[in-house]
Amino acid sequence: MKLLTKTNRYYLVLVAALFVVGAVGLYQGTQWALAHEVDEQLVYHRDYLTQHIQRTQALPSVTNPNELSIGRRPQPITLGDTLLYDPVERTEVPFRTISFAVELGGQRHWLTLRKSLIETKEALAVSSGLMLGMLALMVVGVLLLNRWLSNRLWAPFRRTLAALRTYELTRPQALVLPATPIDEFSELNQAVAQLAERAASDYRVLKEFTENVAHETRTPLAIMQAKLEQLMQLDGLPPAATSPVRELYQATLRLSRLHQALTLLSKIENRQFASAVPVQLHELVAEKLGQLQDFTEAKRLKVRLSATVPLHAQMHPVLADSLVNNLLQNAIKHNYPGGRLWVRTSRGELEITNTGQPLDFDPMLLLERFRKHNAASDSPGLGLAIAHQICAFYGFRLRYSFSRTDGLHTLRVQL
Amino acid sequence: MKVLIVEDEAPLRTSLLNCLRQDGYVCETAENYRHAHTKIKLYQYDCVLVDLTLPDGNGLDLVRTLKADQSPAGVLIISARDSLDDKIAGLDLGADDYLPKPFHLAELSARVRAIIRRRQFQGQHHIIFRDLVLFPDQNLVLVHDKPLNLTRKEYDLLLFLLASPNRVLTKEAIAEHIWGDAADMADSLDFIYSHLKNLRKKLQEAGADNYIRTIYGLGYKLASG
Repeated sequence: MKLLTKTNRYYLVLVAALFVVGAVGLYQGTQWALAHEVDEQLVYHRDYLTQHIQRTQALPSVTNPNELSIGRRPQPITLGDTLLYDPVERTEVPFRTISFAVELGGQRHWLTLRKSLIETKEALAVSSGLMLGMLALMVVGVLLLNRWLSNRLWAPFRRTLAALRTYELTRPQALVLPATPIDEFSELNQAVAQLAERAASDYRVLKEFTENVAHETRTPLAIMQAKLEQLMQLDGLPPAATSPVRELYQATLRLSRLHQALTLLSKIENRQFASAVPVQLHELVAEKLGQLQDFTEAKRLKVRLSATVPLHAQMHPVLADSLVNNLLQNAIKHNYPGGRLWVRTSRGELEITNTGQPLDFDPMLLLERFRKHNAASDSPGLGLAIAHQICAFYGFRLRYSFSRTDGLHTLRVQL
Repeated sequence: MKVLIVEDEAPLRTSLLNCLRQDGYVCETAENYRHAHTKIKLYQYDCVLVDLTLPDGNGLDLVRTLKADQSPAGVLIISARDSLDDKIAGLDLGADDYLPKPFHLAELSARVRAIIRRRQFQGQHHIIFRDLVLFPDQNLVLVHDKPLNLTRKEYDLLLFLLASPNRVLTKEAIAEHIWGDAADMADSLDFIYSHLKNLRKKLQEAGADNYIRTIYGLGYKLASG
């Protein structure tokens, strides 16, 4: 869940607990204070009246029978509670009472003072209401503050996240993280920037290394090939030398091809083919198939091409070429003489189907490097691996499936 | 025909020298940028082979210099980098062709021949070899002044052979010239054999001598005598 929600939960629990405690406390306290105040007033009034009667030797006049009643009947000399009908409020109202006796003219008179609790009750209601209101406001305030805080305070974090998402190790632009006054995010940004810098530096080193290796090995290969070709020109070459020279030459060429394929693979991995142009794959496939006509004819393959559905992609031209070439060559190379070859483009998909030797393992394994169905073959087994790498680079899906029932191998590229 | 070879690796330089001398060119060499720069400023060449990775400079600057001086020399860039960016940069600067290492010497030979031909002879140009006359611009071959009917592949094959007379051309070199990347398809070498067989037959039927010699175990040679 979101951090905001989680913190809100804790806040709400705390606030609720405080509220309950506070509400109960405040209510009880206020009530006690108000009741105590009323009682004090009654006691004070009693004492005053007692003194007054002693002095004036007369009973006070009763203006409001609810508040003061004088009688001869004995009453308990304590504070008590009672309910009386109040004509002003037109309802029964609770009263607090105090009764006491005075001696006047040899006679005992019982006086009862009463005070209406309605005001105190109102006071209590108002203060309780106010308090509840304030608490509610507080809760709302906290929630709003949290939301606002989340938006504002976490903004640097979100900016950092966004920058990280769009950061590409292989592009030369460095990771730009805006400065922030908040320590934690500042530290985070620093750590992330350092990590990105290290990774970019490692990548540069690796890229340089691969380029140097490729470059350095190319020259000896070129020399080997050139010298062997030079050797072949000699008229005086002993017949016994012909075979070793030829085999040396073929091995050199094989090494060259391997070198070329591996270099291509590492370049693709290092994202050195970043630029892309619109490529008409359906046309490219037809063109390549035409170029390979000699080979399809030699194997007497029945070729069917249906590339009328346009298939567009944004690719580096070299990679587009390599992809189509590798897929077609694979389908031709591993085909039976007199076999079949279908090339089909459909919406967002290129499909190449061919007859060939059955596979008793998962065909997708053949997309790995150096995997050959025929282990003894001269080719390094990188053709499909290159196709696979190119597809991975562009986010295409390459699937190699084999159907046992009709003995058909199918290579499918989904754009 | 004068050719300047700019290449820093000595063994490769001597192979290139050997190859182009055998083809009949007058050749000079330069092993670094400084020497190459001096030479192109002082002398005129028909073709300059430029290796991009020189110890003291970038080969592309040599190309720039040649173009800035309005030199009529053809430029063939050879490079160990095999980078598309280099190729585009080089061709944009005005180089005639780009050949990544490693390459077949026969292929180099053919490309130099093509560059010189394009640059030197605008319009009617023909190659004469014994009984053959070939008009590259018209894709026409005459044997004893009679046109020869060749397939596209046979024509390319003949042109390639004619680029390096008396040179042993391996089947692999020929295959790569004709099919490019697809050359390592298993049957390509058998094709060469059958295409050559057909070419020989057509030449013979037209009354030409058998120029195409088979060098056992190695390849083929167009023999001028």
